[in-house]
Amino acid sequence: MKINHRFSIIFPIIAVILAIPMAVWAGGGGGGQFYSAGYYALVIETGLVIGAIFLGWLIKEKMGIHIPKLIQFPFLWAMCYVALRVILQPPIPFSLLAMYMGVCTIAILLYCSLTVDSWKDFSHPIAVMLREDHAKAKLSRYATFLIVPGLIAAQTYNQMLPSFGEPIELRTVHPAPPASINVHKKLVTLQTAENPFRIGDDGEYLKVGDESKYFGQNAWVDDAPKFLQQVKEGGIVFFGTAGCFFCHGDNLDGKGPFSFAFNPIPANFADPGTISQLQETFVFWRVAKGGPDLSREAFPWASAMPPWEKHLVTNEIWKVIIFEYWHTGFFPRTWE
Amino acid sequence: MSITRNGKKEKIGAMLLLSMMAMLILLPFAPINVSAQEEEAAAEGAEEATGPEMAKDVFYWDANGDPWEGPVSGPPAPELVYPDNYGTYGNFQSRTLLWISNQQHLYFGSFVLAVPMFVWVMELVGVVLYRKDPKLGKKFDDLAHEMMKISLTAYSVTAILGGVLIFTFLALYPGFFGYLSSIFKPVMHIYALLFILESGVLYVFYYGWDAMNDGCGDWKYGHMAIGTMLNAIGIVLMVMANTWVAFMQSPSGVDAQGRFLGDIWKVIHTPLMVPIVIHRILGNAAFGGGVVAAYASFRFLSAKTPEEKAHYDWMSYIAMFMGVLALIPLPFAGYWLMREIYAYRQQMGITLMGGLLAWVFIMQATMIATLFITVNYYLMQAMGRMPGYERYAPAFKWILAILVISTISWLTPHTLVMTPAELKAMGGAQHPVVGNYGVMSAKNTAINTMITTTVLTFILYQRSNINIKVPWAWKGNLFLIFLFVGAEINILFLGIYGYYIPANVRIGLSVPQVASTLTCLFVGVPVNTKMLKGATQIAPIRWGKMSVRGAYALFLLAVAFTWTMAVMGYLRSSVRLHWHVNEILRDNSPWAFTNPLGYAGNINSLNVMLFWTMLLFVFWLSALSAKKAPASVEEGAGVGKAVPAGSH
Repeated sequence: MKINHRFSIIFPIIAVILAIPMAVWAGGGGGGQFYSAGYYALVIETGLVIGAIFLGWLIKEKMGIHIPKLIQFPFLWAMCYVALRVILQPPIPFSLLAMYMGVCTIAILLYCSLTVDSWKDFSHPIAVMLREDHAKAKLSRYATFLIVPGLIAAQTYNQMLPSFGEPIELRTVHPAPPASINVHKKLVTLQTAENPFRIGDDGEYLKVGDESKYFGQNAWVDDAPKFLQQVKEGGIVFFGTAGCFFCHGDNLDGKGPFSFAFNPIPANFADPGTISQLQETFVFWRVAKGGPDLSREAFPWASAMPPWEKHLVTNEIWKVIIFEYWHTGFFPRTWE
Repeated sequence: MSITRNGKKEKIGAMLLLSMMAMLILLPFAPINVSAQEEEAAAEGAEEATGPEMAKDVFYWDANGDPWEGPVSGPPAPELVYPDNYGTYGNFQSRTLLWISNQQHLYFGSFVLAVPMFVWVMELVGVVLYRKDPKLGKKFDDLAHEMMKISLTAYSVTAILGGVLIFTFLALYPGFFGYLSSIFKPVMHIYALLFILESGVLYVFYYGWDAMNDGCGDWKYGHMAIGTMLNAIGIVLMVMANTWVAFMQSPSGVDAQGRFLGDIWKVIHTPLMVPIVIHRILGNAAFGGGVVAAYASFRFLSAKTPEEKAHYDWMSYIAMFMGVLALIPLPFAGYWLMREIYAYRQQMGITLMGGLLAWVFIMQATMIATLFITVNYYLMQAMGRMPGYERYAPAFKWILAILVISTISWLTPHTLVMTPAELKAMGGAQHPVVGNYGVMSAKNTAINTMITTTVLTFILYQRSNINIKVPWAWKGNLFLIFLFVGAEINILFLGIYGYYIPANVRIGLSVPQVASTLTCLFVGVPVNTKMLKGATQIAPIRWGKMSVRGAYALFLLAVAFTWTMAVMGYLRSSVRLHWHVNEILRDNSPWAFTNPLGYAGNINSLNVMLFWTMLLFVFWLSALSAKKAPASVEEGAGVGKAVPAGSH
């Protein structure tokens, strides 16, 4: 079946029209639960990519329509942009978007020049536009030399516009800890110290990883194993004594009732990029010393975390750490 | 040829020459014993008088787990004062001047140490092939010879830059240099002597090339033996230069005050010395391959005749291939080095990977992704000159897609640059979706996928212009499909599984991931090569017909290598923070701060440009000195045969 070339533009338009409601759904679908929204977005994106591939196949193989690479280029680029800017939710920062789009732009250029034929397909219309003297070529030449500088001018104008947003901060989220700290007049060497409440049923030190058998168990029953008893006491600190949940949230996801008053917002322990990347002693340092003791490289020291050593005893700090790992199901980092 | 074959006199002469070389190699080790004896005598004398003062090593432990104790044999690390112990040239930053001279010396040093490795391999390939096909053997021999010529010109530049570096040290950092020289005193002259030896062996190797070239006879093997020596000395030299750097990053063999404890081996064998050396050897080899490939591309682009074009097209392919062979294990060596750094000092590891310098790794990741994508792109361009590649061309875009998806995962930073408003909109420092790509599990998966994909592209390249004739072709194809799909499933599964287990177990997962990748390389490629046995060619490779994009891709490859070396050098240096020698000798100059990324990026780019400017001069000189007799069309056709991987 052959269809008129002019109609081929209809398919991308349909795809974009379909993408918009799906993107809106993905954006709001989580209703505050970013995880689910994120995964919906991922599923939709995968679906869209497969759909786009199928569409391409349909147009090329079944309908026999050849779309020149020069036309494919902006279309693919726009698809990447929509996927990363609109569908991927919550929105990624501009710096990351710029990086991703940079990769996509280069990749599409490589795609257009992969083989001798595809390069001809891509460059031939440009050569015609630059060299030929017939009316069509002239028209596209004038249009190009108006549109391209125009786009650059618009971009320059946008960049020069004064913005009233807060400036970008390259925060070091995990600054290097000191070699040792002094908590309640006791020296804790962060490289070697161990959590004294990481104990198994036999009362011995529980190796990291072995606590997985306690994940999902109820720590609040009377005959709970020793480890879970520590978890419970840590939980009491988290929800009671210290009230960590006000900022770090009931689910330890950094969305406590106070969290939205802070800038930057409190750490999300449920994220695989926070406590699961750190040693228990690192977390101990952060809890005990809080924002005021952040190291030099953690400039601009933007943290409202109080130094909890002033309010809790050492044991409570260690226990709340046990609780945080147990609740999120992550393991602290170890080197052995 | 001036030398008669099997001439007795010549043989005796060669044996004498070789034994002299062997003796020269051993010579530098003689002073060690003398100085050790002297030290022993001195120590004995001191003992009789007051008894030696013993001090604890900062790193080494004895059998009981206590710090190892050794006799204090040197002065403590000085407390450097600015401006007394530091020099300046006007308003220039002394550190930046040193940085530039160091980097330039390192570039040329790496290059002249890497090229003999290639030359050795190429010469061996030439000798092996010579028996079956003298023409092809000679072609490889000529290639090796030409590579050596580039290296020779670069060698003198290296020596000059070494001099510049020493003078820069003495003029700008006399206090620091004085301390390090006092520590390394027992081996400093060995370094210098080895350098003389290296020069001698290099000149004999290069200028004796034609005189000792009898195809695959005794003289040729003698020549290869000299090449082996050249490489051995080169590697020892590199290791010795490296010990200074390793000592600065992770000192040992001294006490907490920085006093030398009498055992030079403990100073050399620091906690990070071995992984740094291994990483550097592989890095040098990859870099050397890249630079030679760029040279060949330069000659390819400027070639006037089709024969010349064919020769340099072929040469660029071979050099690229050798470089990539070294590039593939490089990420794993880097991974090992990083693990050792974490084991040595957790702070150092965190400063590198999660803290202050984490963004440098994003720069490095960008470069490494560039390297792998470029290699794949080059191979695809190179296939354009192999009639029959059209059968595989539809796969190119999917390969590219896999590479791009891996790159996106590979590049995603853990620490994002964002405005506070963006941070709020995102709901935390980590993004719920792309945040998952910011951790090690995703990175390992991405890099292994990229390497596996590169192997796949190479397999397609190998069979591009070939009609496979073996009766078990379909079984072989099926096996390859299962191998690659299985490996990728394994890599992906382990990558995802990594999120659910403790970090120490997760580190272990990288081993089976790497194993999958290496299986594809070491099983997939040989199986494919086996399938090519007895195959018919659709048409010979049209050497010289590669697109210019392919040649430029090789330039990009070489520049990316150079830039990666610059940025990682900055990283390795910066991680010491305000220390000249970590925790021993403090940097008290006004330049003790860590350079911002933007500044480092500019200096790195300046270094890269400076190096390439000098290198273009070297290329030009090499092209000028003697016009190489280009490969004839018949020879060009000869290399189009189906020969084992890496040799065509």
